[in-house]
Order: sequence, then C-alpha cells, then structure tokens
Amino acid sequence: MTDRNVTSAAAVAQTGAGRRELLGAGLAAGAALIGGPRRARAAGRTEITFTSAKFFGKETIAEVVDAYNQSQGKVHVTYVELPPPSASTEVHQALVQQLVRKSGTPDVFTQDVVWIAEMAGAGWALPLDEYFPAASRTEYFPGTIAACTYQEKLTALPWFVDSGMLYYRTDLLEAAGAKVPETWDDLVKTASALQQGGKAKFGYLWQAKQAEVLVCDAVEVIASNSGSILAADGKSGTLNSDKCAEAIQFLYDTINKSKISPSDVLSWDEEPSRAPFTGGDAAFLRNWSYVYSISQDPKGSSVVGKVGVAPLPAFAGGKSAACLGGYQYGVNASSKNREASIDFLTWMSSPATQLHFALQLGIAPTRPSVYEDAQLGKEQPFMKRLKSVFTGATPRPVTAKYAQVTLAIQSGVSNALVSGNVKAALEAANARINTILA
Amino acid sequence: MLESTRSLPDRVGSVAAIGGAAVRRPRKRRPDATPWLLLLPVGISLGAVSVFPILNGVWLSLRNTSLVTQEDDFVGLLNYRLLMGDALFWNAWRHTIIFTVVSTALETLIGLGMALLLYEYFVGRSIVRAAMLVPWAMPTVVTSKMFGWLFDGQHGVVNWMLRSIGLIRDNINWYGSVDHALGTIIVADVWKTAPFMALLLLAGLQTIPNSLIEALRIDGGTAWQAFWYVRLPMLASTLLIAGMFRALDAFRVFDLVYVLTGGGPADSTETLSTLSYKTLFSTLQFGYGSTLSTAMFITEALMAAGFVVFIARQVRLAR
Repeated sequence: MTDRNVTSAAAVAQTGAGRRELLGAGLAAGAALIGGPRRARAAGRTEITFTSAKFFGKETIAEVVDAYNQSQGKVHVTYVELPPPSASTEVHQALVQQLVRKSGTPDVFTQDVVWIAEMAGAGWALPLDEYFPAASRTEYFPGTIAACTYQEKLTALPWFVDSGMLYYRTDLLEAAGAKVPETWDDLVKTASALQQGGKAKFGYLWQAKQAEVLVCDAVEVIASNSGSILAADGKSGTLNSDKCAEAIQFLYDTINKSKISPSDVLSWDEEPSRAPFTGGDAAFLRNWSYVYSISQDPKGSSVVGKVGVAPLPAFAGGKSAACLGGYQYGVNASSKNREASIDFLTWMSSPATQLHFALQLGIAPTRPSVYEDAQLGKEQPFMKRLKSVFTGATPRPVTAKYAQVTLAIQSGVSNALVSGNVKAALEAANARINTILA
Repeated sequence: MLESTRSLPDRVGSVAAIGGAAVRRPRKRRPDATPWLLLLPVGISLGAVSVFPILNGVWLSLRNTSLVTQEDDFVGLLNYRLLMGDALFWNAWRHTIIFTVVSTALETLIGLGMALLLYEYFVGRSIVRAAMLVPWAMPTVVTSKMFGWLFDGQHGVVNWMLRSIGLIRDNINWYGSVDHALGTIIVADVWKTAPFMALLLLAGLQTIPNSLIEALRIDGGTAWQAFWYVRLPMLASTLLIAGMFRALDAFRVFDLVYVLTGGGPADSTETLSTLSYKTLFSTLQFGYGSTLSTAMFITEALMAAGFVVFIARQVRLAR
C-alpha cells in the first residue's frame, strides 16, 4: 500500500497550487516511504526500494520491477512512485528530502539528468566506477555517460535519453528542392525562402520562455558553435565568451533580422511552439521526441506523413548539438544493500530491459546497440531513426549548483533576447553565475 | 462586512464584561482561570499554525540552510545584507508593488461601479448578482489558462478584436514583450477579482440607511450628490477594509505569473512570490528563501499597518 500513499500525497502536491503545502506533501511522501510495511517475501531475499518519477506506456514501471522480482530469487524490490516528470520540481524535492536523511531509503532512484551533479556533489550518490568499468561504459551514448560523470567519477547510470531535434516539413523542402539544413545559415536561407514564398507562415519555431527549455535551446546553439556555458572544470562561467554571444545573437536575429521566427517564441515553451507546426504553419521546429507521434495523428495534425526529423544544424566549423534530457539511475550512497542494488541496476540498464522499456513504455534506449534490434525497427521505426540525433546529445552545464545556475542562465538569455543587448546581458548573467559558483 | 467590523469595539467590550463578571463573582480559588482555559485551544492552534511558522521562518532567515549544499549555520544578518544588494529581489519587489497598487486601484473602482449598479433594482438583478461572482469562483489556474488563450499573440481573440476595430495593425505579443506582460497579468487579475470587491462594497451599500437618501431627494439633491455626499462617505470604512483585503492578497500574486509567464520575459513579471518559490523549492535554499519570505512579510505588515491607521481614523470619525 506504500505505493498508493505516496502517489496520493504526490497528487496533492501537484494539484494544490499552494507553495507551503508542497513541503508537507513531500514530507508525507517521505514518511510513507520510511514507515511503510516491509512485508517479508520469499525467505532470504534482500529487500531494497526503488523510487522513480512516473512514466507509463503500455506498461508501467511497477510492472517492469515485478518482472525483475520474478526473474531471480535473491533480491526483492519495492517500487515507490513519485509524480510525473512534468512536476519536476516536486520530484526533485521529494528525492532530496529522502536522500538528505541518509537512512538508506530508497536504495535505487531515478533522477533528471540535470540533478546528477547535485546528488553527487552532496555525496548522496554512490560512485559506480568499480561496478561499471570504463569498458562497459562505451556501450552507452557518449553524451549520456558524460552527463552521468561528476568530477571524473561515474555517479549515475544511463536509463533513457531524449534530446532536442530539428523537425522539418518534407513536402515543403521537396517542392523547393532544398535539402535538410546542416548549418544555421542554410536553415535561415531555406526558412526565409519558404516564408517569403508564402509556403509557410513561420520559418523556424523554437522556445524562449524564461524557463528550463530556454537553457536547452541555448546549450544547443552555443555547443554547435564550439562554445560552452561553464568552463571545463565547472568552477566558473564562460557565458561571456564571444562564442556564446555569437550563438545567442543568432537566436536574437531569427526574430529581429531574418524574421524566420515570430516574437511570440519569447513566451513559448514546448507546446505553444509545437501547435503551429503540427497545424501546418511552420517549416522548421526545434523540439523533443514527443512531437513526432502527435504530428502523425490525423486527429490533431494536418501534416501527417510530411514530417522529417534530423539533428539540429550547427555553425560553420561546429558540430551539431542536441540538449540531453531524460532520467538516469542512481544508487543511494547510504544504501545498506549495495550488492543487491547493483544487481537490480545492472538488470534495469541491460540491453534486454532497455529494449523492453522502448517497446512497452516508448522510452528511448541509451545503448546504441539496442537501436539495431529488428523488433524495435518494426514497432518503433521513428525511435530507430533517432540514433543519429542522440549520438550528438550534449549535457547541460554540469555543476552541483545547477538549480541556481539555470535560473541565472534563464534570466540572462531572456534578457539578451528581449533587449538585443546580447553581450551585456550575458556578461551580467556570467557575473551572477560566478558568484553562485564561488 | 461593515457591521461585523463596526461592532468590533462592542465585542471587545463584551469580552471584557465576561472577564469582569468572573472577577466580580464571590470568592473562588482561581477566579481568572476559566476564560484563559477556554481560550487555550484557540491559542494553541493559532500558535501552531500561525505564530510558530512565522517565527520559524524568521529563524531560518538568519541561517544559511540549504538542502543541496547541506550547510546549516547561523549567519546573523548576512542574508539580509545580501538581499539589500540583490537586484533580482528589488526587481521582483518593484513588480509586486506595481501589481498590487494598480490592480487594487482598478478593482476598487470597477468593483464600486458594479456595486452601485447592482444596488439599484432591475429585472433579473438577483441572477446578475449571482453570475457576477463566477470569475471570482473560478480557480486561478483556469483563469490563467483562459487568459493565456485570450491574449495569445497569434490566435488570441483580443488581438483579433483590436485589429478588427482598427486600433492596431500588427498583432501584439502580449506575454512575450516586456512592455505588455505585466499589464496583461494585471488585466487578468482585475477580471477575476473585481467581482469580489463588488460583493464587499455591495454589502457596505446595503447598510446605509435609505432614509438618508430619501432626505436628500426631498431636499432636491441629484443622483451624483447622493453618491458624493451620502454614499461615498458612508462607504469609506468599507472601502478601506476591502482595499486592505485586496492589497494584501494581490501582494502574494503567484498562480497567474507562474502559469502565464514563469516570471519572464527578461524577469519583467517576476514577483516576490514566484522568486521565493524558485529560491525555496527549485534551488532548495531554505535560508535565503526564508529571508525573501520574511521581507515579503515585513512589507505586507507595513501595508496592513498603513491601512489600519486610516481605518481607525474612519471609525473615530464615524462615532
């Protein structure tokens, strides 16, 4: 029954718009976790708990966990569900409140890719290097391993991946005889031509609402210009560099110079930018993988069969970069059942389980080899095509203080895009980042 | 509303009378204990849900407590010193004050107009009175989503209307422009809360004796004079009390901003509540976040004190 308690507390946390109540609900969730009955199952099994944000498709995570429990006789996992990733703030809070207690519960957890450094920096996440040696890490997309590594230690294990990608209208490009753009210059040219020719109301749609998604869009342009937001050691900001300024200037120009993007993107996050594209009003769109299935649903889309997906363009001399999203596994450093936790983790991250997650929950594998599976190609042909996109996945700035740094980036980049005073706005944000990291 | 506040001194009097009666009773071992014992449950519950959290918040504001860095030390007034130099705080503070003043003023004026209209008799008045409250009864998140669509930059009805009547040529980007975002949020708040003001003021209007208006009519006074020399002065304390309620509530604006803009673009709609929420719950800096909340609390207390001074003067004048 533990599961249900937590879910209902979490539901309260989501619906109650109150702020202080959230804390209470989080505590209740934590209390349910600790106080929950631990029924003894088959004698001699090691009991561990696993907690994750809620994902579901044809199956639920609970069913996958049950499959593990039945597959062997040594370990029994109790699954505790947190709110869905759309309530990311509450998931984060519930997780931190449990880990900060160092009670060893939960033994294994899943975390948004941007929390990994924080969990590791606080000493809550067990370093996994000895269990997953360098050789076995090459089996994952390099971007996901980079995101799971903090101060040269592997502190998380990849679960699933999502990333930014370029959606385009195959019919429009074909009619114009244009190829899929590989550089931002090409994108601007093709988008302007289509827009001026009256083929599309908007050339290129992206997201600049002052929210996490703005950081993702910024990371993509900056990394595709060989720049970065933080220095390699993660101890100071480099947002004031020329590379960053050029990249953000490009975003500003899409609205104000080439005008391939409407100024409305300044208040748009994912869904508002998705709607005009699936409505047939836009030539190009930057978004996550969820858009594809909507675009192919005749009930809500007027572009069925006319949508292609490619890696995002890059600046001349740069490499395409896709902002890495997704949830990854972690092991509680205070866990009293390390061996059992690692056994469970190994099973969860195995190619077979990743394939199962892909087929039943629509969650994209972090192991490139899984994409070669024939059944995946048949049942999820779109996911198979994303392999090339995920290969370029780039983590957001890796720092234990990411939660503060991201707010500074959001504010700074939003300022730059609104005022057009790019250099000064980024300079100010960079100073703020340096204060946070100091 | 008006009646209950008017009778406040009387009630205080009657409480004193009860106390007095207890004292006057013939000698008993503990003559004063009973009223205090009766007050105890209220005292404890108020203390637990109201006084303790406030004191705890103030205590936290003097510490550098952060779940993420796991620091938890007493730092004295350091947080307050940081707050004074924090441009984001002052930015949010300014927006909150602007929002509070403008929305309260508009809501009071529009609410007063609505109350005066609904006070007059016309066919279907009771239905209109009930229907008037619909915006106020709606959850704010629903209101926010609705205004999100109304003021949508591309397909919003507001842009379409303004374009149709020729007031604008190009669509206005309501939520994506620093010049319009805060104003649009104020419009949404006024739509939602003006009916609440109207309700309070209507209650106030109904306590004004009709004989005064009749007397004025007999003297040949106009409708305007009835409003200006009779109703408005009689309504003054209700106006102040309603204004105080509204201002204190508006100061905590959260839902509209959170749903519509998230504080952007370029921090132009960041308010103290959204900033505190981000600091407390996204970054889990409980210490500094509490400093922000305490600063909010102090500002609100000052505002309330300002209103109370005026209300007290009104009450004195009325006697």
